[in-house]
Amino acid sequence: MFQNRAEALALALPAAIFAAAVFLVPVLILLSEGFRSAAVDGAAGGGWTLSAFTEFFSSSLNRTVFLRTLRLGAIVTVVSAVIGYAAAFAIVSLKPSTKGKITGLVVLPLMISPVARTYAWIVILGRTGIVNQAFQALGISEAPLRILFSETAIFIGLLQLFLPLMIISLISALENMPKDAIAAARVLGANWFQVFWKVILPLTREGLVIGGTLVFTGSLTAYITPAILGGSKVLMLETLMYQQVSVSNNFVSASVIAFILIVMSFAANILLKRVATARNRVRTEARGTQ
Amino acid sequence: MSDLKYLSLEKLTLAYGDTVAVADLDLDIRRGELIALLGPSGCGKTTTMRAIAGLLTVKSGHVRLDGADITHVSPNKRAVGLVFQSYALFPHLSVYENVAFGLKLKGLRGAALDAKVQSGIASVGLNGFANRRPGELSGGQQQRVALARSMVMEPKVLLLDEPLSNLDARLRLEMRTELQRVQKETGVTMIFVTHDQTEALALADRIVVMKRGAIEQIGSPQDIYNRPQSSFVADFVGFENVFALEGGKLKANGGLYDLQGDVPAVAGLAWRPRMVTLGSGPFQGKVRGTSFAGEHREYLLDTPLGPIKAEVDASQPMHDLGAELAFDLPAHRAAPLASFA
Amino acid sequence: MTARNFFIPVTLFLVIAFLIGPFLIIVAASFSAGETLAFPPQGFSLRWIAKVFTVESFRASFAMSLFLAIGGTAVALMLGIPASYALSRYKLPGAEVIRTVVSAPIIVPGIIVGLALLRYIVVPFGVGITPALFLAHTALVLPYAVRVVSASLDNLRSDIEEAAVLLGSSRLGAFFRVVMPNIRGGILSAFILGFVTSFNQVPVSLFLSGPGVRTLPVDMIAYMEIVFDPSVAALSSLLAFLSIGIVFAAERFLGFSRYV
Ligand SMILES: Nc1ncnc2c1ncn2[C@@H]1O[C@H](COP(=O)(O)OP(=O)(O)OP(=O)(O)O)[C@@H](O)[C@H]1O
Ligand SMILES: [Mg+2]
Repeated sequence: MFQNRAEALALALPAAIFAAAVFLVPVLILLSEGFRSAAVDGAAGGGWTLSAFTEFFSSSLNRTVFLRTLRLGAIVTVVSAVIGYAAAFAIVSLKPSTKGKITGLVVLPLMISPVARTYAWIVILGRTGIVNQAFQALGISEAPLRILFSETAIFIGLLQLFLPLMIISLISALENMPKDAIAAARVLGANWFQVFWKVILPLTREGLVIGGTLVFTGSLTAYITPAILGGSKVLMLETLMYQQVSVSNNFVSASVIAFILIVMSFAANILLKRVATARNRVRTEARGTQ
Repeated sequence: MSDLKYLSLEKLTLAYGDTVAVADLDLDIRRGELIALLGPSGCGKTTTMRAIAGLLTVKSGHVRLDGADITHVSPNKRAVGLVFQSYALFPHLSVYENVAFGLKLKGLRGAALDAKVQSGIASVGLNGFANRRPGELSGGQQQRVALARSMVMEPKVLLLDEPLSNLDARLRLEMRTELQRVQKETGVTMIFVTHDQTEALALADRIVVMKRGAIEQIGSPQDIYNRPQSSFVADFVGFENVFALEGGKLKANGGLYDLQGDVPAVAGLAWRPRMVTLGSGPFQGKVRGTSFAGEHREYLLDTPLGPIKAEVDASQPMHDLGAELAFDLPAHRAAPLASFA
Repeated sequence: MTARNFFIPVTLFLVIAFLIGPFLIIVAASFSAGETLAFPPQGFSLRWIAKVFTVESFRASFAMSLFLAIGGTAVALMLGIPASYALSRYKLPGAEVIRTVVSAPIIVPGIIVGLALLRYIVVPFGVGITPALFLAHTALVLPYAVRVVSASLDNLRSDIEEAAVLLGSSRLGAFFRVVMPNIRGGILSAFILGFVTSFNQVPVSLFLSGPGVRTLPVDMIAYMEIVFDPSVAALSSLLAFLSIGIVFAAERFLGFSRYV
């Protein structure tokens, strides 16, 4: 540890000032706009007020979008947790050499541009896409179904985008679990359901929380997926925000959405962190009294 | 004169922020001396060494080396070498490059550089290891590289912070001799930090015992071992029975006890276990524990004075646990303590 | 036991098919000979791959994205390395505040950053679109640079710098002689991570586009809203192979995953 403060500040301040000037200050101003009374043209001005928020939520379209964003975030998180446990469990039970390769395949999509990954679903879910071809060939449907530009399409896209994050979080959680915990529970007579609920889940909760935070905040703030797979009708908060700016020129409403998005991400972060540490405290306290 | 005060610390005060770690320290070291810095954890040994090396800003006081005040000279211009407890070898450089590092910065090149590096490596017995990376060496070998790296710089003072504490017992003995040899051959002034009193006694010309940021006693190994000046040093070098005196009487466990013989007018007295007479004397104790140590047997007695440790020849008959024994603390054998904390 | 033997491969097959399958379909579609994007591809040809290179806007936006990814990451590292060094080696007043400020851009949705920049930097100060994009991408990469470089600095003992100084090196010299060589892998990894992040970034750049100035992913989205031919698929495949190639090479030679 060096003591010289002037030297330390000279090293650290350029980055801090840069981030503050280019990022923090503009974003804070943007957020504050949502609390100003709106002038006629949608630009902000005047004193402080919550009217922009009440106005935002008084529109049923906005409420729908808000609830859809929350709902999709929650569903994607839950589904990726369920699939994630199955996949992570399967992966950690593999031989080390195979495990490395399969883990590589799981993280591979993370290196591919989200545009490319989302674009693929157009080919699969489109009117003449694979799914519709298959449905028609099998006689499940006569005319092509409209799968694209729906909540389902966004859900599929988001799940594919963020599932790898959940799986890798759970893999490392499962690997850090005491090796004999499952065997011990089995010996004590627990069935697989009980083993999962009483042993695996508590011991991997932290990994689940990390993965869950990544997936949930990722889904809330994804832009490309709802833009491409939801189209201009099925909006999420991010695409709504883009429309408010580029179509309606309504900057106050955009600021309100920005505020909601940031509050939701932060709330998710804090809430889930709290869940994880609360569990830990219980566990260490229990250990302390033994 | 300058040889007697080759390195002087004058009223040196060192602090981390507002916490003072070393206060008003005075110390004079002779040219070519081997000094051991001994003291409990946190007493300021490392702090003092770092200040001598210039890695820590001095709050007040002076550091003088070879006649020059180096208090504010930057560490790269001091000609002070430091061997770290962790060795601090450069992991990306070979043994050769590690040893050559400082010489190159001095501007040495070509054959002159090579000769110095080679002889440095040879002097610590690492011929044949020149191209290895530190990661491919054992702890003892890394220690030697660190030593060679500092020694080739021909520092005026070489500081070693617990140089042997990361080594196993056998290597520690081996490196001890190695250090002594290097010091004798080069005549470099050396200060080394240690926790281990036997190490300090075996190696040092003089031992400096530190306590809470100040020097408690300076002396030859014999002085420190036989004539501790304070209860702290007595405790530290293995006098197990250390008592205060009050009005010529032994103060123990809240009571005052008469001693036989002439009691010197000092603050306290200390006895090593073997200085305690067992089997006769004015005091009574009950055997609480006993342990066999080869030639000796040690007894732990519960007494009105508190616990007493005594040591007798193992050939004497053994006393059982719980046995009541008479014992004596003979005043004439005790080490007189000038101060009692 | 047989249930498990069945469960593991089936689960893995389904999950990997879901994750990788769409990408394989895109690759297949990009070799189609037909006029529209379709799977299974109609015939085999390289015409769409070839076309990618002839679309003028792709060439321009590719160059722009490359410039932003390389330049932005380089600047982010130039800011981030000293900051990481200060955070890991000095007793720094307000260290936590500084750490939070430099890593904040990772938490805030990109679209908000883009809009904020547009409204409060570009418009009031008359900053051009290209410099604004540059600033945005640099800010976006900065948190990754600080995180990865900090991690490798924290893994490096700090006493080797003191040793170098005691052997006669200046502090700056010690940094370049003994710190840099030992965190080179971390810096390269930070560069690659920053590059990929910047290159694939869309939301930040959405509002920051002007006539003829667009990043490649934004350009691709714009293109596919108008034209439904397989050239975007071809371009996607090419880019994907490029980034997979880079990351693989990085993993082989640097052990990339140790740092990220
Ligand atoms: N970087 C630091 N910041 C604040 N206080 C410190 C720092 N380093 C040491 N100290 C404090 O200064 C005092 C002296 O520490 P120092 O490291 O010099 O002890 P030491 O004698 O070398 O101990 P040890 O034998 O454990 O190595 C201790 O009380 C310690 O807590
Ligand atoms: Mg120390």
